[in-house]
Amino acid sequence: MKILVRTLDMEYETVSAFAAQAGFKTPSGGLICRETRGQLLSGSASVWMLGVVAVVLLLLTTTGCGKTAAASYRLNMVESAKQRLKPEQEQQVATILAALFGTPDEPIAPSECGLDVAKLHLAAGPVRSDIVGRKNGLYREHCAHCHGVTGDGMGPTAAFLNPYPRDYRPGVFKFKSTERADKPTHADLVMVLRNGLAGSSMPSFALLSDAKIEALSEYVKYLSIRGEVELALMRAFFELDDEDQGRLPEDREFLIEEIVLPVAEAWQAAEDALIDVPEMEADIDMAASIAKGKELFYGNKANCVKCHGVTGLGDGQVNDYDDWNKVVLQAQKTVQGGIEQAGEASTWDMDADEAVEHRAELAWLDRFQKVLEGNALPPRTIRPRNLRQGIYRGGMRPLDLYYRIHAGINGAPMPAAKGTVPPEDIWHIVNYIRSLPYDFNGTLGVDKPMVARDRL
Amino acid sequence: MMTTSLSTGSGCRSGSESQAVGFCLTLAICLAVGIAVPGCDSGSVAGPAPDFEAALVLREKLTSATGATEAGEEKPQGTGWATLKGRFIFSGTPGDAKPLVVDKDTEVCSKDGMKLFDRSLMVDASTQGLANVVLFLRNSSRVKEPVSTDALVFDQKNCEFLAPVFAARVGQPIDVKNSDPIGHNTNISGTSFNQLIPAGESTVFTAGRETGLPVTVTCNIHPWMKAYAVFREDGYVAVSASDGSFTIPDLPAGEPLEFQVWHERSTGRSGAISLDQPELKWNAKGRFKIQLEENEVRDLGTLEVPADAIRG
Repeated sequence: MKILVRTLDMEYETVSAFAAQAGFKTPSGGLICRETRGQLLSGSASVWMLGVVAVVLLLLTTTGCGKTAAASYRLNMVESAKQRLKPEQEQQVATILAALFGTPDEPIAPSECGLDVAKLHLAAGPVRSDIVGRKNGLYREHCAHCHGVTGDGMGPTAAFLNPYPRDYRPGVFKFKSTERADKPTHADLVMVLRNGLAGSSMPSFALLSDAKIEALSEYVKYLSIRGEVELALMRAFFELDDEDQGRLPEDREFLIEEIVLPVAEAWQAAEDALIDVPEMEADIDMAASIAKGKELFYGNKANCVKCHGVTGLGDGQVNDYDDWNKVVLQAQKTVQGGIEQAGEASTWDMDADEAVEHRAELAWLDRFQKVLEGNALPPRTIRPRNLRQGIYRGGMRPLDLYYRIHAGINGAPMPAAKGTVPPEDIWHIVNYIRSLPYDFNGTLGVDKPMVARDRL
Repeated sequence: MMTTSLSTGSGCRSGSESQAVGFCLTLAICLAVGIAVPGCDSGSVAGPAPDFEAALVLREKLTSATGATEAGEEKPQGTGWATLKGRFIFSGTPGDAKPLVVDKDTEVCSKDGMKLFDRSLMVDASTQGLANVVLFLRNSSRVKEPVSTDALVFDQKNCEFLAPVFAARVGQPIDVKNSDPIGHNTNISGTSFNQLIPAGESTVFTAGRETGLPVTVTCNIHPWMKAYAVFREDGYVAVSASDGSFTIPDLPAGEPLEFQVWHERSTGRSGAISLDQPELKWNAKGRFKIQLEENEVRDLGTLEVPADAIRG
């Protein structure tokens, strides 16, 4: 106790001495007393201990000690509010999803999905280890803080990232080697995990072993299938007839064949749906190709400058949104419009039924607004790529650039050039783009390239 | 960090000591509150938890060998085909259409001072006909003709889509054209179709799935361009013409038919229109039921859309 006291005292003295030297005034306005030095339970030491104990007690009461609740999936509240689902309908969706896909700690998948449940178990659940050298709960360890336990792109860190982490639930992925409407292949997911996405907050996980990366890719697919099934279930309520009384049929024909199978088949079909890329001409005249590419970039066949800007800095079109943000934006507009409309309605002339309807509408709008504030991230615009930086999210190989131009970027405003721009022209554009970071007044300069923004 | 010798200040008595106590306690409380408050997540709306027992029962049922499906009621099927027609009129005053903000490619899109207007509410001045109302059959039991392989045309010129609302059948090829001297891209939401269409060229799109309600068609290069498209499996869909009239031929006769009605500016949920006509059994989702006799041509007459059914 004496030592403790003395230590505390010394620290206290040290701090105040430092503060005095540094010219800071201590709260008491002058130098701190040192008279209490050496005394058991002296005033200054006891005050500090009291403070520490108070903090610890308060922390314990607020955060609690003991087991935390098991993780659970979050329902897609934005879609549920959009579809005007009632609480019992939301519960039916949650129950069906639990039946089909299990819980975050114990995932299962219908056999039609073709998922390897062993890999899912490696990735799922809390981070834990019962064999030396092997850790389970990979997803929660590496991914959940950004992508969320449900894979909704709304983990605790998501709000601070631009662009937001991917929300897997619509089943749309941007950087892949398949046609625009198709799902990514397994190799695409593995590549994103291995290389990360340059220029975004998605890091490379190349330090993880192959088995771990495989497990994580499988789990991402699982979350995506689950999310798409959830959306399909919620949208299915609109298609119900009055006889169904607002309840989805819970039989195999509806749930598996109509809802799950289309999603699962889309994932399986992706493995064979790679874009067929004709090889670039072997002895191509690069300078001529770059010149041709520049013509196409500025021309009205490929229209690249319309969004990427006449300087290629990505400033041609800055008010567009990607599909994930567009959903939230449109929902906000719907709520705004609904509130204005409800405000204009005159309650004086309403009869009993209309009044009930009007109140229900206001209640729905209120809930929708709360959902948009608490269960969605504020919409952010998407900027076209600044092509002068040489940073490409989906990879910088010429092949990757070819994929981006040919199929566009699913979920983003970038359109597909497939069918309207022939493959040789796409290669010319690729070559021009690859020369852009080194472009110096229109010629490939040997001196240090001027920063693009400084150009007149 | 060694302490340097420091002369004690004068007047350090109980005054400064109690101030130090106060400072520490305030700091402790502020720290605790500062840690506790952001930790509480009261912002999000929580949905209901799943009913895990019911989930287990359902899982058993779904994975059982035969997966016996509940026998659905046999829907009565009639014979023959009939036609449905009518005319939508708008009894309110439409007001002036707002001009669109045209700020890209103005040498083509604002050529000769041409202005583009919002086309969400198009009412024919002489007949009060309400154009661009979409009417389609839900859940038909049979179709007369298989999908035609003739391509429909969906064109854009003068920086606007020529058809504000466009209907097509699933599986029918659609020739998406660009008749402008500048490039466009046509982005059909919900279908992953977003294609660059150079000036004067075209590309073919075939809808693979039907849409529950019309979806938007936009151009990312020219953000003011907007149209709606609806794709239906059976093809029993009509878009009302400029005078509000529509006709759907070859509908299955002798069985109950349920139609969905939609308009872009309707105040109903997601654009659904419900009219005050009890004999058609309208419901809140914008649907009505009808049954037609074989070879009948049923004329629903003028269907009046009141002013409060359209957003002002």
